Amino acid sequence: MDSEVDKPSHLSVILDLSPTQWYLSARATNPYPLTIGSFLSQLLAFLNAHIGTKNENTLAVFGAFPGKSVMLYTSTEALVDEPPPLDANSYPPFRMVDTTVTRQILRELDAIEPGDEPPCALVGALTKALCYINRITLPSTSSTNVAEGSTHLPDPRILILSVSPDLSSSYIPIMNAIFSAQKLKVTIDVCKIYGADTVFLQQAAHLTNGSYIYLERRDALLQYLIMSFLPPPLVRKVLTVPRQDKIDFRAACFCHKNIVDVGFVCSVCLSIFCQPVPVCSTCRTKFPIKALQRLKSACPSPAPAPPRPLANLNNAVPRTTEATNHSTPGLR
Amino acid sequence: MDVDSDSDISVFGDEDPRVKGKGKGKASEKPKKGKVKRKAKEQAYTWEASYTRSWDTVQEDETGSLQGAVEDLMARDRRRRLLAPAAAIRRTIIRHLVLILDLSNSMMDRDFRPTRFDLTLRYAREFVTEWFDQNPLGQIGVVGMRSGLGERIGEMSGNPQDVLRSLSDRAKLEPTGEPSLKNAIEMARGSMSHLPTQSSREILIVFGSLTTCDPGNIHETLEVCTKSRIRISVVALAAEMKICRELSDKTGGKFGVAMNEGHFKDLLFELVPPPAQHATIRNAGSGSGLPPADLMMMGFPTRLPDTSPPSLCACHSDLKSEGFLCPRCMAKVCDVPTDCDICGLMIVSSPHLARSYHHLFPVKPYEAVASLDYTSQSTSACHACARPFPAAHLSGVVTEGLSPLGRYRCPDCHHDFCTECDVFVHDVVHCCPGCGK
Amino acid sequence: MPSVQALSSTPSDVPQIVPHALLPFLRSQSQNTLTRLYQRPSSCLSILRLLGPLERQLIMNLLWLESAIPVSTMAAWVVPDGKKLYSEALSVLVGLHIVQNSTVKLALNPTLKSSLRQAITGGGTTASFGVPAERDEKRLPVGIDSLDAYALERWETILHYMVSSGQEQLPTKPSQGVLYLLQRSGLMQSTNGSNLQITSAGFQFLLHSPHDQLWSLLLQYLHMAEERQMDLVEVLSFLFMLSTMELGRNHHSCSQEYTADSLSETQKAMLEDLRDYGLIWQRKGSSKYFSPTRLATTLTCHSPPLPTSTTPGTSATTSSTEVALSSTAGPQGFIILETNYRVYAYTNNPLQTAVLNLFVTMKYRFPNLVVGMLTRDSVRRALGNGITADQIISYLVAHAHPQMRKNNPLLPVTVQDQIRLWELERNRLKSAEGFLYKDFASQADYEYVLAYAKQLGVVLWESPAKRSFFGTLEGHANIRGFIERRSGAS
Repeated sequence: MDSEVDKPSHLSVILDLSPTQWYLSARATNPYPLTIGSFLSQLLAFLNAHIGTKNENTLAVFGAFPGKSVMLYTSTEALVDEPPPLDANSYPPFRMVDTTVTRQILRELDAIEPGDEPPCALVGALTKALCYINRITLPSTSSTNVAEGSTHLPDPRILILSVSPDLSSSYIPIMNAIFSAQKLKVTIDVCKIYGADTVFLQQAAHLTNGSYIYLERRDALLQYLIMSFLPPPLVRKVLTVPRQDKIDFRAACFCHKNIVDVGFVCSVCLSIFCQPVPVCSTCRTKFPIKALQRLKSACPSPAPAPPRPLANLNNAVPRTTEATNHSTPGLR
Repeated sequence: MDVDSDSDISVFGDEDPRVKGKGKGKASEKPKKGKVKRKAKEQAYTWEASYTRSWDTVQEDETGSLQGAVEDLMARDRRRRLLAPAAAIRRTIIRHLVLILDLSNSMMDRDFRPTRFDLTLRYAREFVTEWFDQNPLGQIGVVGMRSGLGERIGEMSGNPQDVLRSLSDRAKLEPTGEPSLKNAIEMARGSMSHLPTQSSREILIVFGSLTTCDPGNIHETLEVCTKSRIRISVVALAAEMKICRELSDKTGGKFGVAMNEGHFKDLLFELVPPPAQHATIRNAGSGSGLPPADLMMMGFPTRLPDTSPPSLCACHSDLKSEGFLCPRCMAKVCDVPTDCDICGLMIVSSPHLARSYHHLFPVKPYEAVASLDYTSQSTSACHACARPFPAAHLSGVVTEGLSPLGRYRCPDCHHDFCTECDVFVHDVVHCCPGCGK
Repeated sequence: MPSVQALSSTPSDVPQIVPHALLPFLRSQSQNTLTRLYQRPSSCLSILRLLGPLERQLIMNLLWLESAIPVSTMAAWVVPDGKKLYSEALSVLVGLHIVQNSTVKLALNPTLKSSLRQAITGGGTTASFGVPAERDEKRLPVGIDSLDAYALERWETILHYMVSSGQEQLPTKPSQGVLYLLQRSGLMQSTNGSNLQITSAGFQFLLHSPHDQLWSLLLQYLHMAEERQMDLVEVLSFLFMLSTMELGRNHHSCSQEYTADSLSETQKAMLEDLRDYGLIWQRKGSSKYFSPTRLATTLTCHSPPLPTSTTPGTSATTSSTEVALSSTAGPQGFIILETNYRVYAYTNNPLQTAVLNLFVTMKYRFPNLVVGMLTRDSVRRALGNGITADQIISYLVAHAHPQMRKNNPLLPVTVQDQIRLWELERNRLKSAEGFLYKDFASQADYEYVLAYAKQLGVVLWESPAKRSFFGTLEGHANIRGFIERRSGAS
């Protein structure tokens, strides 16, 4: 009966593979430069550790490329046609993961057109991961033993390895994804490898009981990955994993995408505005003049507390110029 | 009679496409016609024609198994829910609901298993959980009807735990005596009278009795409710009563009689999603025709870490380290959403607001793919979950939005998805994996 | 994990992690042996999998550290409730010489560390994952289906032989080596030179899960190997190597053959034994190539995806392979037990029928269904064979039909209770040797001696009315001395 406690677990890893951000991350001026090549080799060791520790563990890898999200590997389907030849020195499943993931990433990176780089399709990758988890946790309707499936639920997790800053336009889809993760009882872990903290992913980790880690010593990536993201939830009850403690629950307003402390909310659709507006831009509701005046008088400064911009949008500025030159850095 | 039966056939052919839709090709059409005719002959009364004969719509496959047919029906069912209009963008989001439970003797009837009362309690708890999940800014109060009185069981509260606690003690709610609709509604109305105009006021009555014992004219109560725009919905467990029907009709609520346990749950859970705003317009009676809307000032708090030095909270005066800080007056409160006890600012965390955004920006319904268009790139697996699509049938007809190929295409990004993902994306994720919106 | 404690017997909340059967054996080995074993990456990986989740995580945490870390650093990560589990896990690791025994610093065994790193990154030249054979056009590859069928046939032959040993018609005999192993492990014994008879340990063995059965036989094999002066490291690492090999290739659905050339002499000798158990398949006895079967490749899985609970035989071969493949998702149940003690078993497998026959009175047999009753006699017969009530119940739970799994509790309570009551029934009379003390001169004497005997805790029965009590054999000398001293004193 030990399988009851020692349940197999499922891990979906989402890789943020924005060429620009990885180029920035590899610059020697950074305190700990990290190239995509060394990132991948450490990541593969982590993936192997996950499938190696238990035979029934399942793995899926998704890549968020500029404007596109791709499933890179799953343990249920063969994504590349030709499996790698057996090698006496390596465990066959490890070899399978390593070659498939590298091959797929190379293929996608090669396909990127030089030019302006659209933002990474993190949301697409995240929703795909959720759809995939939904598929494997739901007992398939075609299988005869429906009841059996429920007893063998792998205990699902999503790990997001992020390098890109928050995209304020993806606020609502990310929140929607978080809520569906809550419904599916999926834990979302986030490792911020490069760039400033992202508020959205912090909330994702907090709301799904996962851990959000800002990678400070980037030369120790693998140790971070193993200690914080390898243990399944049951082990985390004994060996704690680091968590962030202070969480920003502020929201971005709909009008200027500013992050606000005190906002004005439309009672019909709950759109948030940073200052009183006469008409809701989302649902076209007109607000009574009296209320407007009342609110304006309620906050002494007309624009309440100079709104702080999304901290991490700052990082996005140099993107377009550098992207043209270095849009496809090679893996090695 | 001949004419009659002919018209029956056409009724079956047109209005019940399930019979027709079963046939994938023309070959299976013929034997079915015969079946229908035979059925028509068997019909003794015309009213029978309006009944769907569920057993006729299920067909065995070649091996005599019902598996395929059942799966088909299930897929159809899921699809149908999705096809419901998603147009109503304006929904009431800040809701106030009083749940009125019948606690009269009639609730001890055993026509629902184990008893009406136990089942009601169980469903009420599930209802509350689900309701708060979808209406995080709403509040629920609970009132019981017992011994001819209205009894306050739970105060209006935005905390699901409070409401669940008031419903948890079965012994305290033991049914007895007669119910009184008037008393209970008056009590519910009283607890909602102070609410601001932009929030909805709803009453949900679970009624198991066939009588009500009121101290005055209940129609007056109804009048007042209509005036103060309280929407009353009734789920009856026994039979339809005129007054119940009137209550819900006049106030714009819903009325239903539960036929069995499952139906009871369906009726309750129909009331979970926020009602579309236009439903109230009819009853608003105000000149503008638009429901009153308002801008509300809300504060977004900062959550204190568990490791911060403990301090007293403003709401319970408990010494604890975790909590939320009101952004205006920096008072510490235990839980959100709430009104700040010091400055009265409404404090919500942004995820609470975000929970209802999917009502505002629904994912466009996917189109069922009728046949594989070889000009477009058609992938062999679902774009979201990589499940391979079933080997393609040559062609088929889209019936009731069900694709013969099991493929559903997003109108924006033109990616194909499988049935399960289609339902999952629209019901749960509310975000298309292809376009990321 | 710390919060869950064993509360009830339903399988869903049995939290106790049962350490793998092999671990105690490994612990009993010397540090030298273990270190030699750890030289091979495949062995390290397999041992890692046999450990509990917490131990695995501890190893992984230490794996990529270059230097030893203070014990307190690691302990700082442990939540207060988990202290006990953590120290248990650590002592397991120390016992296996995976973590060096030190009170100040924590570090992995350097041999294990480098091998495990090699296993995970894939490198080195140890060839510990098996040398694949060159694809040869002349040797037609064998399909996974036939490998499964082969493994199944071998394994069920063994079990079937055991279960029907008491009856007249004997099924096909397994090979001599298997018979010896069965006898050696005490699962069967031959009384006065006749045929082998199943023992009560054997009956219990039959009700275990296939995974447990396999490992308890392999453990016996390991003990035997020790006696036969085989090199344990060679034996173990061969087993571990098999467990990391690949069962066929997905898209060809035929087996990958491995070459036996690189094996040591001991390991080549093992090929034959393991072939008898159904762990590996060889074209001919002398073949230079071998393929592992599912029994071998799933050795280190915790939930056993063994093809054992299938229904081969009379049914078409397609269906049997289908079930075998679906069994990777978990063993499929086939038993329905009703509150009226009726047992419906949807099987045509003679082995399963025979095992059921151990504690069920069979009523009817249909092509795919066997109907029987749990009766007092049938259960008492099983109890008489040494099977316990709990084993019967856990067998019924483990093989319950998917339909049954919707019930909560899974088995009807009345039937469970009755099986336990039948077991208790057997324990109504207990015999104990001892002495009856009677004919005390006075009530005071009686009470005085009785009090003394009670102090010693040797009283089995007493009757103040008859002024007598019954004491155990062990207490007799003391009581007698006490009485003599007392009578001598007065």
